[in-house]
Amino acid sequence: MVRSMSAAPVTSAAEMGESPVRHALRRLSVYLRRNGVYYTGWTILTLFYVAAFVAVPILVGWAIEGALSKDVSQSEMTFRFSTLLGVSLVRGVLRFFSRYLVFTAAREVEYEMRNDLFGHLQRLPQSFYFNWRTGDLMSRCVNDLNAVRLMLGPGLLSVVQTPVLFLGVLVAMFVLDPLLALLVIIPYPLFILIARAFGTSLHMRSLEQQVGLANLSNQVQEVVSGISVVKAYAMESEQARRFKDVNEDLYRRVLRLVVVNGAMPAITGLLPAVGMFAVLLVGGSRIHDGHMDVAEFFTFAMYIWELTFPTFIMGWVVALVQRGSAAMQRIDEVLSVEPSIRDHDEVEAVESLRGEVEFRNLHFRYGDESSAVALEDVSLHVPAGSTLGVVGPVGSGKTTLASVIPRLYEVEDGQVFLDGVDVNRLPLGMLRSNIAMVPQDSFLFSLSLAENVAYGLGEDATDEEVAQAAQRAQLTKDIHELPHGFATLVGERGVMLSGGQRQRTALARALALRPSILILDDTLSAVDAATESAIQAELSEVFKGRTVVVVASRVSTVRDCDQIIVMDQGRLVEHGTHASLMAGQGLYARLASEQARSDRANDHPETTEATSPTQESTS
Amino acid sequence: MSDPIAYEEEALGKAYDSRLLALLWPFVSPYRWQVLLTLLMVVPMFLIEVAPAWIIKSGLDYVYVPDSSTATESPLAAWILDPPFGWSTILWLALLYLAVALLSMLLQFAHMVLMAVTGQSAMRDLRKAVFDKIQSLHLGFFDQYPVGRLVTRTSNDVENVAEMFTAGVVALITDVFKMIGFAVVLFWVNPKLALATFAVVPFLAVASVIFRLRVREAFRAVRVRIARINAYIQENVTGMKVVQLFTREARNMREFDRMNADHRDAWNSSIRFEALLFAAVDTAAGVTTAIIIWYGTGLVEAGVLYQFIDYMRRFFRPMQDLSAKYSVMQSSMASSERIFQLLETPVEVMDVSSEASPVPVPGLEGTVRFENVWFAYQGEDWVLRDLSFEVGAGERVAFVGATGAGKTTIINLLSRLYEVKRGRILVGGVDIRLMSQEDLRRRVATVLQDVFLFNGSVADNISLGRKDLSRSEIEQAAQIVEAHPFIARLPEGYETEVRERGTNFSAGQRQLLSFARAVAHGGEILVLDEATSSIDRETEALIQRGIHTLMEGKTALAIAHRLSTVQDVDRIYVLDQGRLAESGSHDHLMSLGGKYAGLFDLQRHQEVSTESDSALDWSASPVS
Repeated sequence: MVRSMSAAPVTSAAEMGESPVRHALRRLSVYLRRNGVYYTGWTILTLFYVAAFVAVPILVGWAIEGALSKDVSQSEMTFRFSTLLGVSLVRGVLRFFSRYLVFTAAREVEYEMRNDLFGHLQRLPQSFYFNWRTGDLMSRCVNDLNAVRLMLGPGLLSVVQTPVLFLGVLVAMFVLDPLLALLVIIPYPLFILIARAFGTSLHMRSLEQQVGLANLSNQVQEVVSGISVVKAYAMESEQARRFKDVNEDLYRRVLRLVVVNGAMPAITGLLPAVGMFAVLLVGGSRIHDGHMDVAEFFTFAMYIWELTFPTFIMGWVVALVQRGSAAMQRIDEVLSVEPSIRDHDEVEAVESLRGEVEFRNLHFRYGDESSAVALEDVSLHVPAGSTLGVVGPVGSGKTTLASVIPRLYEVEDGQVFLDGVDVNRLPLGMLRSNIAMVPQDSFLFSLSLAENVAYGLGEDATDEEVAQAAQRAQLTKDIHELPHGFATLVGERGVMLSGGQRQRTALARALALRPSILILDDTLSAVDAATESAIQAELSEVFKGRTVVVVASRVSTVRDCDQIIVMDQGRLVEHGTHASLMAGQGLYARLASEQARSDRANDHPETTEATSPTQESTS
Repeated sequence: MSDPIAYEEEALGKAYDSRLLALLWPFVSPYRWQVLLTLLMVVPMFLIEVAPAWIIKSGLDYVYVPDSSTATESPLAAWILDPPFGWSTILWLALLYLAVALLSMLLQFAHMVLMAVTGQSAMRDLRKAVFDKIQSLHLGFFDQYPVGRLVTRTSNDVENVAEMFTAGVVALITDVFKMIGFAVVLFWVNPKLALATFAVVPFLAVASVIFRLRVREAFRAVRVRIARINAYIQENVTGMKVVQLFTREARNMREFDRMNADHRDAWNSSIRFEALLFAAVDTAAGVTTAIIIWYGTGLVEAGVLYQFIDYMRRFFRPMQDLSAKYSVMQSSMASSERIFQLLETPVEVMDVSSEASPVPVPGLEGTVRFENVWFAYQGEDWVLRDLSFEVGAGERVAFVGATGAGKTTIINLLSRLYEVKRGRILVGGVDIRLMSQEDLRRRVATVLQDVFLFNGSVADNISLGRKDLSRSEIEQAAQIVEAHPFIARLPEGYETEVRERGTNFSAGQRQLLSFARAVAHGGEILVLDEATSSIDRETEALIQRGIHTLMEGKTALAIAHRLSTVQDVDRIYVLDQGRLAESGSHDHLMSLGGKYAGLFDLQRHQEVSTESDSALDWSASPVS
């Protein structure tokens, strides 16, 4: 039930022969460069820090030497101690700034990347949202981004600083005692072997753990979204069983990760011990033989101490980098999806639309060649300012036909024309601001009612504009029933409103735009008959001078349209006016008579009650 | 909703540390022996940390420096200095050191694995508890609690609590134990030098208290802001179609950027404090080293000097990542608080006992009875007022009425998605509160107006996971509601995957699937909240026939919008502001000339005006 990774429309970096870490670095280089000031400052600080870091053990040895020796003057001793104190303080200050800079930079990158992700999501077409679950996308925006940030903060700090520290310490030790230096340093390169041995499985296991977490999130998301069905059909135990599976699965995945994650620092911790072993063996003998003094022993011991923490951290950092690059890959799976619907390279400089719509042999399918045809050979001309009614049975392609006009879905060139220009060549921003569509699901945002109505207007939307749009959508009568009128917060997806109120708000939102083309996709299904006829009456005003596409299941909704088409299985099967189609005795006439029969009785006011949000979990 | 979110997050952050730990205990207690073992392991781990410096001290004071005294203080020191197999003492000491390091590594690894297994087991149980809780809550809860936040409770929040257990509580106890341990050892070795050494500790203690206060504020701000960001992404991803249709991208980007920048800025101050503490501890360790050398030389031997520097560093180390631990603890506390807030939400609708659900009273199977039912979603805002009616077995009734009349509420109450406030509802002669919810909902098959499809195949969506339904039963159900033809046309038929929320199905197709569900699930009572018109009338005609088949031999309650439904029913109930206004057959109600007749005429008037100039003959169409 997991969306298979292959469904992600990108080739994974591994397939391209690039290691995940390298891939992550390549992708991150843009952000690192953009924050060059931080990183340059940090690099300089790091050099000074390393100098102080290397100096302290030498100063300790120097102080001890002076203290143990009888022939060092008191003032000389004071000088040695003050130097040690001073350098220790400077080291602390440098350490503060170095950490501060690199962590701040990581937050800056996180900020930029989050902005980029969000901006990218806004550019992706609807077909993308077909294939990706919200929970999955959220997990990438939250968890994965966090992992990348950790890689760039503590991760980068350690990855860059530690080798320089080692180099500095190595040089200092070599100057003091080349043989001992060699013996101390020998075990450390083993770290690279350890990191390699663990790296791959760390990477795989952290990826698996992320997938496990995403599966769990999806399971919860689904149950919560469909809670009314879950309860009505007593599915709780079945869902609990499913949850148990993903939960156990996540548990196993986490533990598998933890074992590798813990083994590595533990083994890494042995490296300094091996170095100290050499110092005890060789240094001990030398002191015994009088070839080395105790102060130098202290210096070497201190170097090993000082390297212990950075080395130990390296084990953790490898995990951090692995997790971070796995996360970067997952983020990149989203970022690398090309926004297929964007301005054409040869965009026509059209500034507004009159509203003429033409389909020429329009073919469309959701997905590749293997998927079913959604629209087949549809040709139609809708003059500017005229109205088009679209009716047809379930799944006949009505909504699809309406959706290709504002380019919600990608059509091939030469099939859809607005004002005689291929829709793909029109500037996207202009196109959509000239078209207003009321989608079937009247999705509202958790803003106030007024803000929802003004959603497509600029920030300078006036109260009058909002009030007028609300008036036209017959929303005004509801306003004073709501606790705070226009300022009422409608809740997530508009749960505080009834189904009919939601639909009328969505309609008002579209009407506020004053578009050249207005598309109503079965907009008033939850509006009662009396309200609908009131809206219809008001709409005939709105329709004047606009091209209007009305997708409807009620024949009565489209009967006054200038032309009406009937869709069936993706094809345009009938075309004409209400009168001519009625005379034709075809599908339209059949639909009309059946509906008339059933509509003859009552059609009760709004079906979803304001007080019962139960039925409104889907959109 | 942005304000309530902010409010909720703002309200958190008061650290009820001990209370939260107490709440967490039931989840940890099944694993208490593992926890105890984890904590007891601190003792050998501490001793093994004391050992290396001791070995080196012995080397420096008794072995390496030729003229040092050979007087041994204790049997242990004697053993350390007495190599077997005639090895040199220097080699022996080095080997001992290596062995101790190896042992320490093994202990650490074992400790870590034990801690992870324990923590993750407890978290797995906690996750299950959260999920079960979510499923047990009444429907009204979900109106106020956004989906995204519930997902966070079970995923990230639980992860955070696990962190608190491993990186927080256990690490903290370990650290405190070790710090006390090292202090004791230092005083034991040389009280005078120890006293001098601890000179900087009070300064650090003050610094960390200040740090604690400042950083708490910073973390609180961070939490509020990240919650806003995530809610914003979630909402806009869900409603992306509208965002794009209304070209809101640029403005959303600006809004998002503001929130995102706020979040980054909130972090900046916490980063500053964190780096400050880190550097302070580092500096303190450096200064202390100088003090030890200055004061210690002449007072003690070189070996003891070494021991002091070594233990002092180990004493300071826990303070260094105090900030990391503190930040983990803070976010875990917030997470666990949110989790327990959820877990403590009272369950409004629950089964009275675990005993078997009472069977229907003989002779009353399939009957529904509302007795003086009062209900309000909020406070005294009555939606149903003293409603009473009775539906006999096999009867069909319809409910009509204006918006807010309480029609849908009847369904919600009958399947006990909400609890009645006063009065009672009897199904099969038994108060539904005495039945198990599962039993009740198996008896009452509900077709909801809005259809929710689950991830899985089309077949799964009809069977809804009931294993006892065979494929042929599923297909048969689809046949009855005539969903079979469109399902058969799908690329993989019944095995076709339903994408998120069924976006690859039209509204009408989803409706048909929901009917098939109801058919497949049986139940002697059928409750139908008719969809208005998301199904076009042709499809509607198809399923009307299916519904008739489905209703055969069942008690049926319908929220009616169609003549074809109202026509056939035994009785129509007209609701008005939560009260029963009229009831009876269509003809009877029409003859009353009351509310029903009014509604009917309004509808009829509209239809007539539509038909006026067309040659439609209603009676000519085949009525099922």
